[in-house]
Formats: sequence, C-alpha cells, structure tokens
Amino acid sequence: MKKFSFKEIAVPAITLFLIAAICTAILAVTDSVTAPKIAENNAQTEIAARQLVFKDAKAFSDVKTVEEASYVEALDETGTVIGYVFTTSSKGYGGEIKIMTGIGADGKVTGMEILAIEETAGLGMNAKKDDFKNQYVSNTGDFTVVKSDAGENEIQALTGATITSQAVTDAVNNAVEIFRTVEGGDK
Amino acid sequence: MAEKKSLMKELTKGFLDENPVLRLVLGTCPTLAVSTSVESAIGMGLAASIVLICSNVVISALRKVIPSKVRIPAYIVVIASFVTIVQMLVKAFAPSLDEQLGVYLPLIVVNCIILGRAEAFAGKNSVLASAVDGVGMGVGFTIALFLMGFIREFFGTGTITISLINGGQPLWNSVFGENPILIFILAPGGFFVFGMLIMLANKIAEKKGKEKAQLHSCKACPMFATCTAQEKEECDR
Amino acid sequence: MSTLKPLLAILLTAILTQNFVLAKFLGICPFLGVSKKTKTATGMSLAVIFVMVLSTAVTFPINNLLVKHNLEYLQTIVFILVIAALVQLVEIVLKKYMPPLYNSLGIYLPLITTNCAVLGVVLLNIDNGYGFAQSMINSLGAGIGFLVAMVMFSGVRERMESSDIPESLKGLPITLVAAALVSMSFLGFAGLVENIFA
Repeated sequence: MKKFSFKEIAVPAITLFLIAAICTAILAVTDSVTAPKIAENNAQTEIAARQLVFKDAKAFSDVKTVEEASYVEALDETGTVIGYVFTTSSKGYGGEIKIMTGIGADGKVTGMEILAIEETAGLGMNAKKDDFKNQYVSNTGDFTVVKSDAGENEIQALTGATITSQAVTDAVNNAVEIFRTVEGGDK
Repeated sequence: MAEKKSLMKELTKGFLDENPVLRLVLGTCPTLAVSTSVESAIGMGLAASIVLICSNVVISALRKVIPSKVRIPAYIVVIASFVTIVQMLVKAFAPSLDEQLGVYLPLIVVNCIILGRAEAFAGKNSVLASAVDGVGMGVGFTIALFLMGFIREFFGTGTITISLINGGQPLWNSVFGENPILIFILAPGGFFVFGMLIMLANKIAEKKGKEKAQLHSCKACPMFATCTAQEKEECDR
Repeated sequence: MSTLKPLLAILLTAILTQNFVLAKFLGICPFLGVSKKTKTATGMSLAVIFVMVLSTAVTFPINNLLVKHNLEYLQTIVFILVIAALVQLVEIVLKKYMPPLYNSLGIYLPLITTNCAVLGVVLLNIDNGYGFAQSMINSLGAGIGFLVAMVMFSGVRERMESSDIPESLKGLPITLVAAALVSMSFLGFAGLVENIFA
C-alpha cells in the first residue's frame, strides 16, 4: 500500500480543478455577452429571409401553427393577408436542408430562400444560386425534378447534385402542402 | 541583439522551414476539410491562429504552476476554453463563417498543431517566445490553408469568391466557362492538391539540404508523451 | 421494419456516402500514419470503433444534462475531457483484466484521445439532432467506415511498397495521391443509400 502523498495526488488535482473552474467562469462570462447577440443574429436572418421570399409584404403576423407546422402570414399595408411564409426542411446529401418558402394567396410561389444547407461545395451548394431558386417562383407546384428541359412546375436539377435538388424540391412541396391545409382550413 | 535575432527566427521558422502543415504534417484534417474555398480556408487559419497564440501565452505563463503530471489535461482545458470563446465570438460577429466551418470550428480543439506546440514549446519557454512561436506557426498554418484553398477554388470553380470583396460576387468570370474541374473541390481533389504541395515543399527543402517531410505517426501526436515505453516501441515500428 | 429502415439508412450513409475519413476528412492523422500494414490498420480501427461507440453512449446523457441547465457552451470542453478520461480508463481496465485485448488494441488508445474523428462524431450527432439509438448507430457506422477506409488503404499501400515511384513523389506525396484515388472510388456511392431507401 502506497502512502497517500499530499504533494503527488492532491496538489495536481487541486491545480487542475482551479484551472478548470477559472476557465468555466471565463466561458460563462463570454456566453452571457455573446448569447443575446447570437439570438439577435438568428432572428434578423429569419426576418430578412421572410422579406426576401415575400417582397410584396409590408408586415408579417406572429407565428401560427396548423397541424404541427408553423408559418407566418404576409400582410399588406391594410393588414389583409396576402400570402404565407413557411419554413420546411428535408434531408439532403450532407445533412438537413432548411428552406423558407413564400406562397401568395393565389397559390403561386413568391420566393424561396435556403436557411441552412451542408451540401458539397460547388455541387449541392449551387442550390443557393438565384438561377436555381427562381425556378420555383410564380409556379404553383407540386414540383418534380427533371434532368433537362424543365417545363411548368418542373425543376431542372443541379449538375451533379440530383439528390440536393430533390431534397430542396421536397421541402418546397411540403410548404405547398401546408399552404393547401391552411387555405383549406380557412374556407 | 542576439535575443532579437532568435525571436525573429522563432517567428519565421513556421512560415516555411518548419511549416506546421507542409513540413511537420500536423493539422491535416482541417487543411483538407475546409480548403474548398479561399474564404473558409483563411477563416479557419485565423480562428486556429488566435486559439494557438492565446493558448501558447496562457500555458507558458502557467508553466511553473501546472504540475507535470496533469499538464496534458490542463493544456486541453485551456485550449478547449479558447476554442469555445472563439466559437462564440464567430457565431456572434461572423455568422456566415460559422456556417462555412461548421463542426470543424469546435474541432480546432483536437488540432494537433495547438496541443503539439503547447507540449513542445509553450510548456518550456518564456511568454514572449511562446507568443512569437504561436504567431509564426499560425501564419504558417494560414499560408498552407490559403494555398490549398486558392488552388482548389480556382480549378474547382474557375474563379475566386470572397464575400468581403466585390460584394460577394466572383472576382472574375470562370476561366473554365460552364465546366470547371469540379473534382478539385471534392474530397479526392483535396488529397491530390495536398500531395502536390507536400512534393513542392519537399523540393524546396531538398535544395536547402533538409529532409523530406515525413509523417511520424506517433511522434507527431501530442499524446505521445503519455505513452508507456512499450507503446513507444510498438509505435516506432 | 419502419423503425429499422431509417437506422439502416443512417448506418449505410455513415459507412459509404459520408465516410468519415474519405468524405469528411476526420481522422486523417491515423489514416495516413498507421495504415502501412493491414494488421496495424485493423487494430487501430477496432480501437476507434470501440471508443467512438463508448464515448457516444457516455456523452449523450451528459449532453442532455448540459442542455437542461443551459450550459451548451461547455460542450466542447466537457466532451474532450470525458473522452480523454474514458480512453485512460479503458486502457487501465484492459491492462488489468483483459491482457490479450490490451496487447492488440492498447497501444492505439492514447493516440485516439486527440483523434478528431471521435470528438467529431459526438459533435455531429448533436448537430444532427439524433436521438440515442440514432447516435449509437451513426457512431457505429462512422467507426466501421473508418475501418473500411483504413483496411482498403493499407492494402493499396502494401502494394505500393514494391512499385516504382517517381523520385519526387516518394513518401508522403504518393500516399496522398493514392488516398485521392481511394476517395474517388467512394464518390461512386453517391446517391446509393437514398435510392435504396427511396
């Protein structure tokens, strides 16, 4: 049995504990400073994206829910509902893809923005380009992905990224579906 | 005077002669993973450099306080704290960079360069020398990442896009038109470009009469110090 | 069946299309360093699988605790320490109670602490919002993917020993070029999993 040596066991342990405690304290302070800023960033991205997908809207309602899906209403100057903004997601090649879709009261897509995407750079990431996103605009869905010669409600797949194109399209179709539920519920 | 000269040497050795990536072959994971574009490569280089400099300074300042028995866990705690601070700051003030680096940002904590420098340099040298060493190694890491990012983005997309310059638009039209050499920004391109850069660095080193870059699987690993004698022997085989 | 299908999809994705080494570039150090011989490559990989699955099992409840108390910012520091302590503990236990296993895996254990693949899989599980079963399967898949890449690559390297390599490429450069070719072969799996389970 070795004798308990204060110097060999306790001193290192206490030193290590002190270092860890100080580090944790510094982290807690940094977190309290940055956390509000991070939350604000996220909120701002959300608001900016809403405005991008629904350019005609002057204001947006609070978040509402229908059958577990949440959405916001797009309002004009007088506060009349002129459309909706939906946030939907699907599984892409590299992970979850989160998108925001604006749909007018007439059922036509007003815009689509990608909120989160982790696809292959140079291939799937091209989904963020306007050429791809604009294919959805003014169409009513349901969308199908084709490899060439896209017609109405057809989306031309990104070169080398069919899976990403399909995933984004699935998410938009989801939004269209929620739109139909919302509209159906109103009537 | 002599003091100044040796500090200068500590600073510049990391640029090429002891470049952490191209000569010491450390930190290969982030080098390959985030070098798909110049922007993310530089972002990673800077983030890792800040962590490296700060942890070098703190560890060097504490080198007489930390008992050698628990130095590795103590180093890890210090490094992980700085990584988390940098991560929070990036999230708050450069959210687009956070999106590009993703999981590789917290993974700076296991970047061999940082723990390696703590063990090999900061734990034994003065605060000033350690800070200078951190700057030199950080710049060397960033240079290597920039080279990788530039070559891969240039060939892979035909142009360079940096969001702070030119309003986030490509700096010029793709030189390959509609068909850039995509494979460069995919995984195989990363390995290939890295291999070619190591070859070039070897050539330059050879002219200076130095050895080729080698991957010492164990000696490069900062945990090597914790290995038992038997393990060290196994490893060298 | 319906609950098994998504789990199987996660497993296959982690092994083939999102291979940790060849697609995500995690664990490159051991991939290049310990892959000279198939025997050592296998030993290292088995140790990695073991530590990955164990770390996931241990960090999952810890993460729940952190989230509950709004301490997410401690994730990195807590996880790396837990993994380091776990590896040491496993080493001690193996040495004392299972010497044969220690002799075959033990020497790789210290190298695993700073292996970014282990911390990477733990962090990615959280990023993806996986539940416990999904996390475990993803870790297992990531580990098996590591094994597959290591064993394949060590085979390539053993062949290279006896081939005629241009002088300037000798050593690390040709190893990296070989890695590029191996990872190119994995690009062929793109879309495979999605189409099987579509």
